[in-house]
Amino acid sequence: MAAPCPLPPPDPQFVLRGTQSPVHALHFCEGGQAQGHPLLFSGSQSGLVHIWSLRMRRALATLDGHGGQCVTWLQTLPQEHQLLSQGRDLKLCLWDLAEGRNAVVDSVHLENVGFCRSSILVQGQPRWMLAVPGKGSDEVQILEMPSKTSVCTLKPEADAKLGMPMCLRLWQADCSPRPLLLAGYEDGSVALWDVSEQKVCSRIACHEEPVMDLDFDSQKAKGISGSAGKALAVWSLDGQQALQVCGTHQLTNPGIAEVTIRPDRKILATAGWDHRIRVFQWRKMQPLAVLAFHSAAVQCVAFAANGLLAAGSKDQRISLWSLYPRA
Amino acid sequence: MMAVFDTPEEAFGVLRPVCVQLTKTQTVENVEHLQTRLQAVSDSALQELQQYILFPLRFTLKTPGPKRERLIQSVVECLTFVLSSTCVKEQELLRELFSELSACLYSPSSQKPAAVSEELKLAVIQGLSTLMHSAYGDIILTFYEPSILPRLGFAVSLLLGLAEQEKSKQIKIAALKCLQVLLLQCDCQDHPRSLDELEQKQLGDLFASFLPGISTTLTRVITGDFKQGHRIVVSSLKIFYKTVSFIMADEQLERISKVQAKSAVEHRVAELMVHREADWVKNTGDKLTILIKKIIECVSVHPHWKVRLELVELVEDLLLKCSQSLVESAGPLLKALVGLVNDESPEVQAQCNKVLRHFADQKVVVVNKALADILSESLHSLATSLPRLMTSQDDQGKFSTLSLLLGYLKLLGPKVNFVLNSVAHLQRLSKALIQVLELDVADIKIVEERRWNSDGLNASPKTSATQPWNHIQRRYFRFFTDERIFMLLRQVCQLLGYYGHLYLLVDHFMELYRQSVVYRKQAAMILNELVTGAAGLEVEDLHEKHIKTNPEELREIVTSILEEYTSQENWYLVTCIETEEMGEELMVEHPGLQAIPSGEHTSQVTSFLAFSKPSPTVCSMNSNIWQICIQLEGIGQFAYALGKDFCLLLMSTLYPVLEKAGDQTLLISQVATSTMMDICHACGYDSLQHLINQNSDYLVNGISLNLRHLALHPHTPKVLEVMLRNSDASLLPLVADVVQDVLATLDQFYDKRAASFVSVLHALLAALAQWFPDTGHLRHLQEQSLGEEGSHLNQRPATLENSTTAEDIEQFLLNYLKEKDVADGNVSDFDNEEEEQPVPPKVEENDTHPDVEPPLPLQIQIAMDVMERCIHLLSDTNLQIRLKVLCTLGSKCGDFLRSRFCKDVLPKLAGSLVTQAPISARAGPVYSHTLAFKLQLAVLQGLGPLCERLDLGEGDLNKVADACLIYLSAKQPVKLQEAARSVFLHLMKVDPDSTWFLLSELYCPMQFTPPHPSLHPVQLRGASGQQNLYTANVLHLLKELQ
Repeated sequence: MAAPCPLPPPDPQFVLRGTQSPVHALHFCEGGQAQGHPLLFSGSQSGLVHIWSLRMRRALATLDGHGGQCVTWLQTLPQEHQLLSQGRDLKLCLWDLAEGRNAVVDSVHLENVGFCRSSILVQGQPRWMLAVPGKGSDEVQILEMPSKTSVCTLKPEADAKLGMPMCLRLWQADCSPRPLLLAGYEDGSVALWDVSEQKVCSRIACHEEPVMDLDFDSQKAKGISGSAGKALAVWSLDGQQALQVCGTHQLTNPGIAEVTIRPDRKILATAGWDHRIRVFQWRKMQPLAVLAFHSAAVQCVAFAANGLLAAGSKDQRISLWSLYPRA
Repeated sequence: MMAVFDTPEEAFGVLRPVCVQLTKTQTVENVEHLQTRLQAVSDSALQELQQYILFPLRFTLKTPGPKRERLIQSVVECLTFVLSSTCVKEQELLRELFSELSACLYSPSSQKPAAVSEELKLAVIQGLSTLMHSAYGDIILTFYEPSILPRLGFAVSLLLGLAEQEKSKQIKIAALKCLQVLLLQCDCQDHPRSLDELEQKQLGDLFASFLPGISTTLTRVITGDFKQGHRIVVSSLKIFYKTVSFIMADEQLERISKVQAKSAVEHRVAELMVHREADWVKNTGDKLTILIKKIIECVSVHPHWKVRLELVELVEDLLLKCSQSLVESAGPLLKALVGLVNDESPEVQAQCNKVLRHFADQKVVVVNKALADILSESLHSLATSLPRLMTSQDDQGKFSTLSLLLGYLKLLGPKVNFVLNSVAHLQRLSKALIQVLELDVADIKIVEERRWNSDGLNASPKTSATQPWNHIQRRYFRFFTDERIFMLLRQVCQLLGYYGHLYLLVDHFMELYRQSVVYRKQAAMILNELVTGAAGLEVEDLHEKHIKTNPEELREIVTSILEEYTSQENWYLVTCIETEEMGEELMVEHPGLQAIPSGEHTSQVTSFLAFSKPSPTVCSMNSNIWQICIQLEGIGQFAYALGKDFCLLLMSTLYPVLEKAGDQTLLISQVATSTMMDICHACGYDSLQHLINQNSDYLVNGISLNLRHLALHPHTPKVLEVMLRNSDASLLPLVADVVQDVLATLDQFYDKRAASFVSVLHALLAALAQWFPDTGHLRHLQEQSLGEEGSHLNQRPATLENSTTAEDIEQFLLNYLKEKDVADGNVSDFDNEEEEQPVPPKVEENDTHPDVEPPLPLQIQIAMDVMERCIHLLSDTNLQIRLKVLCTLGSKCGDFLRSRFCKDVLPKLAGSLVTQAPISARAGPVYSHTLAFKLQLAVLQGLGPLCERLDLGEGDLNKVADACLIYLSAKQPVKLQEAARSVFLHLMKVDPDSTWFLLSELYCPMQFTPPHPSLHPVQLRGASGQQNLYTANVLHLLKELQ
């Protein structure tokens, strides 16, 4: 043949179809079925949660618990086959999925319909902590689960004008048992809350547009946030629990719906409104790939423990990518 | 016969005279007299008088001096008669009779039996046999004491001589039978109980002296001419192995002391006696090995199956009884057995398998180290010489060699890994297999045979067998032609897969597969069989406790093989000269050639290709076709091997297989279809449709991803087409999803490959129409296709019928006027309202969100998207595509297109036809190779269906008719005339009257008289009756109209 062909653009390993509605949330659950084949949960705008077998590449079951309202967040609890789903019907459902059951065993009523996804922190079985958007539009409510007792409400000072919380990340430093909360706000700032003292430890204004999502690497004490604007911000946390902007990464097109660091903390992926998934090296924020497949905004990205990347889009498809194909 | 004389007294009275007479005068007549009298004496009386009667007979034999043979014969026969009715109760008598009978054939002058008549020989043999049977009770055992050795030895050699040298088959067989009796191998009822240890030893010691003679002579008989008849060989084999296994029995030899016991026999006899101590055993064993090898070599290819069956018995007997004493023969013996495992005779095969199973059960192979070692060694050495044998041997030789290999594998079972673990041996083995499996790919027919119809997925899995290899494609090998050799090779590979270390083997052959295209097809064949074997579905296991590869592992192995098979470089091979892509390339290089039809007529394109780029040779394309077929068959075999487990692999295999089912090469598409049926069986789908329908999501995934690289996967649209044909409305969401990809890809590739998309879009719209039938629309289509009431002018006029009334005419005129009015553009609320209405979107009544605009039903949305693209395709540079699109659109939305077609397209087409007509009318035969001709042909062929589908109005139809009329001239090339006629045939369906009129204006075969006197006679221009250039075609068409 003539000239060596350029490498074809990378393809997804496979694509899951059948949500018949834009996909808003994705979450992997390890060890669900056969080894090496995690389950994938997807939440769609039509209010359904699909449970996908990655072994069969087919939906195993559909959970209908949000009255047709968009499912925005999905999270499994480390034990007992339990799934949390947050919907825009102001409900957070706890599903029991053990032994093929799929029933809502508990639910939390939310008081704010905003965009904010919840966050959990598992402290010790069986207790866990849940952060949800609170009643007041700028508040975050902390609950102790499974008792659903309200621990506190995190409300910024009146003059701060942060706007609505847009994304939450509960975490705990290795050295201290105090739960901390990272929250991105509508005004483009990221704040670190000390949950027990109910006060903001530190706050940085790192975006000009609302913060759409953030992820935090507690080992490196470094986090990343994406906004409705054209930049990704990387920030770090020093010993005094003060946030500092480390740098920003400019994007060609505005709008990041979700940003997720891979469990091994080597790379991260962003879900772009420009239909693209971007992959960066986490340490130096070196761009590694721009994955173009979807025909509408990508709304969520998630990593499996084996490194498989899933992206859900408004085009109703979920693409799965093997970023480092077997040699 | 009734005995007349029951008592000895009576009998004596009767017999005495004849006995005396015989003693006095020894003549045949007297003997016969005696025998006649004997017939009337009862057995008991005879027994009493036995010695008395025998006397004259024996006396006759013993009388010195020359005797006539005839007399001796009758004496022996008479003697035999007496012995057959009586018992010999005295040792001495037995011995004497034995000697006297044997002596009848003694020739003092030579070693050989005396030169006497065959009858006499036969009589003596019979006599001896009868004598031994008449020996009473234990005296037979005492007969065999050392002192008898010389006499017995004489008889044995006599019989051996007869068996070897006589011409008469009857004598040979009798001699062998008699030998059996003498050696106590007779299988009749009258023989003594089984021998105890001591008796066995004594007999063994005695017979050991005859072993050299018996074994060498019988070997000569056995290895003699095949024509001597199988019974002789079978008997000889039987005596050979019974004798050897008796004398050389490990059980006996174990108990033999080192020093020979002093026996009380006389010196002369003692010299003859053999002491079976270790050295003797060793020596004898060595000598026997030579004979055994000779026998095996000869008998294993003996044409008669009973002989080969006897060989199996021989092997079993010797290996079971003499594995120590004949240790050197064990190898050849096993080899013989193993080689007969695949004997063509089912009896031999069954017996062989039985014996092998018996050995396996008895752990002969596994526990008896010697045997297991021998097998291993034999396999080692066979593996070493295999490559050489496979190239040098003829088919028969290959067949026996491979049978042998197969036998070793069967017998060694799991121990085959000792050999496989040696890299050198595995390499030799694989080299031989790869070598011998080389295909002959010179057959040009394979490349040439094309698949013409596009929807051939009709085979139902019920018609196919459940085992994939029952419908494996017949292939041709370079190094053999015998189909049985291929079957053997497959069995060998399957056994390797069953017993061998599967990972090791798959790894090894995968390596060869990757290494070179020279090995690839063979390696794939071997891999396919390895997996089939590993599943253990067809393997007859002699080692019942062998653990099969577990299903999970097998699936992993299959997955990795499949990945390799279906990878870009191994699945998408050049199997023909792709017309569509080539067409494009040609267009770039030779802009003048674009009118080459982009159909499947490769031959036309090949000639052009010759100078544009080096074309793949027929051989390489053939080879590629075979590679794909073998891989496809492999997938079918894998499905068979994995059963339901294969379902998990459908996501990656169904797409590539389906793609090949639509391949243009007949062979590939046939094999792919049968692979799909294998998959149906394995995964439990009852039809191909079911399989496709249930797994459309996997297909859509493949289609969608491949559309992203259309240049690499030009056949992707075809797969979608097949999928659409086999899907139903339940898949609409999935279809909607992939259609978006198709349209997006089409948007990128309007310039190239549009043709393949057009047919997908056609299939899509057809599928939608079928899934969501709209009754109104449907009726319209029906009317159109029936051509009865679809058009404005088509109220079948009464003028052509005979019984025309004035009312008919009036009605016709009224209709005509009304329609003329319509044609002039005065459209009133006419009955075509319903057609012009777009399909009304049905609004969901129970919509809960009144603020949200109700979306169009999905299918209509899809249809709209498709239409939008089609409009663009109308301006495609390729005329074929344009016409195809117009047809597609025309059939689905005629009204919408009609005006544009009439305004923009038709005038140009008509114009070009008119200007080109005089040129083609003058042109010579070369013209049909020109671009202009092809253009004319394409337009003429396309216009007819278009006019019909688009439901053109009168004016436009006239334009078409006018332009095509000139092509009805006999001066035009025949092909164009034909095409023009086809246009008119379509026009007739739309508007028969005006077509009739038009044609009749050209030529009218008859005069018309008005149906009513008040009407003017019709004056048609063509009615002059004069023949002209159009006559033939017009007549042809008018005939169609009637």
